[in-house]
Amino acid sequence: MKHMSKFTFSILLILTSLLVIGQTNKTDSIPPKIEKYGVRFGADISKLIQSFYDKKYKGIEFVGDYRVTKNYYLAGELGNENTTVEDNRLTFTTQGTYLKVGFDYNSYENWLDMRNMLYIGMRYGASTFSQTLNSYNIYNTSNYFPEAPTVFLGEKYNGLTSQWIEIVLGLKAEVLNNIYLGFSVRMNRLLTNTKPDNFDNLYIPGFNRTYNGDFGIGFNYSISYFLPLYKTKATQKKDQKKKK
Amino acid sequence: MKKIQLLFICLFSITFSSCEKDDICEATTPTTPKLVIEFYDILNPTVKKNVTNLAVKELNTATSISFTGSSKIQIPLRTSQDLTKYSFILNSTDATLDNEDFLQFNYTRQNLFVSRACGFKTNFILNSTTPIIKTETLIPDGYWIQNVVIANSNITTENETHVKIYF
Repeated sequence: MKHMSKFTFSILLILTSLLVIGQTNKTDSIPPKIEKYGVRFGADISKLIQSFYDKKYKGIEFVGDYRVTKNYYLAGELGNENTTVEDNRLTFTTQGTYLKVGFDYNSYENWLDMRNMLYIGMRYGASTFSQTLNSYNIYNTSNYFPEAPTVFLGEKYNGLTSQWIEIVLGLKAEVLNNIYLGFSVRMNRLLTNTKPDNFDNLYIPGFNRTYNGDFGIGFNYSISYFLPLYKTKATQKKDQKKKK
Repeated sequence: MKKIQLLFICLFSITFSSCEKDDICEATTPTTPKLVIEFYDILNPTVKKNVTNLAVKELNTATSISFTGSSKIQIPLRTSQDLTKYSFILNSTDATLDNEDFLQFNYTRQNLFVSRACGFKTNFILNSTTPIIKTETLIPDGYWIQNVVIANSNITTENETHVKIYF
């Protein structure tokens, strides 16, 4: 499972990079475009699906953005996760809520009346959560004694908080009228992190798994609905400026 | 715009590659320390003395660990109980010269978090009142261990000597 997700991730990473490289601004004579402005809201489907098949995971994430200018979107995510991680040496349960706010910049020049997005963005993320250390093993370099029995603890550490920043790389495609499918990869870096005594935040809701450093990686697959609020006509002059 | 995109890709790859591998507990990571014992000459207490064919065996364990030609040995302590009792047989290969003494180490344990890959480790603190109990075999053959001195009662690292044995 671990290797599988790593593999999938690598493939997606390469694909995303290729897509980004592939985009060059080649716009020919395009009739004036009608740009729709409004709010888009939805949910992360990967978390929902995982909640169904994975008994150790329950999570939900709502996503939303608001189109501020032609290319800039105010964006955010609100979520809750409850996951039990069973590693070789220890098992723990993380529960908590998170909020991410920031912006997306759409770098994709749409054809005609298409409204797809290939975007880069940033988020500020904050999470409040608890960790429960369920059990652990003592690591012993000597194998003279048989391995000591697993220690079952169930110690709960409440009131933990973390803050981080994310760099988002993603795409959103309009699959039906005003219905979007999206995918994004996120690189996270912790800013603050309150750790429990004699344990660590090995998983942070919203941030995902932590590594030995401050870095983390996240992703989401979203389905969302775009609610148009008003429309503007992009002027020809503006488009010509872009071409240079 | 293209430059910005390239910059982001670079940034992305750099950050991704800088993720450390943390699935394997590396051998260099300090985990549960062993008890470090150093042997000294009873007649000349500042001089280290090598042991010959010393067999060290925990009482409830079938196998023994052998040491010869060294003055410093490392033996593990049980992480699931507060005492470990070892038999120390000097000249264990010689049926006439061999001599067995018992040392029981009494301690308290502290389990400390190390990392995701290593889990926890146990540090030991030797009891302040009776850290070590020396006993003889049922048929007494005299003690070969003349004196036992605690050099460091906090067993947290293998870089220092915890117990000195004079013989």
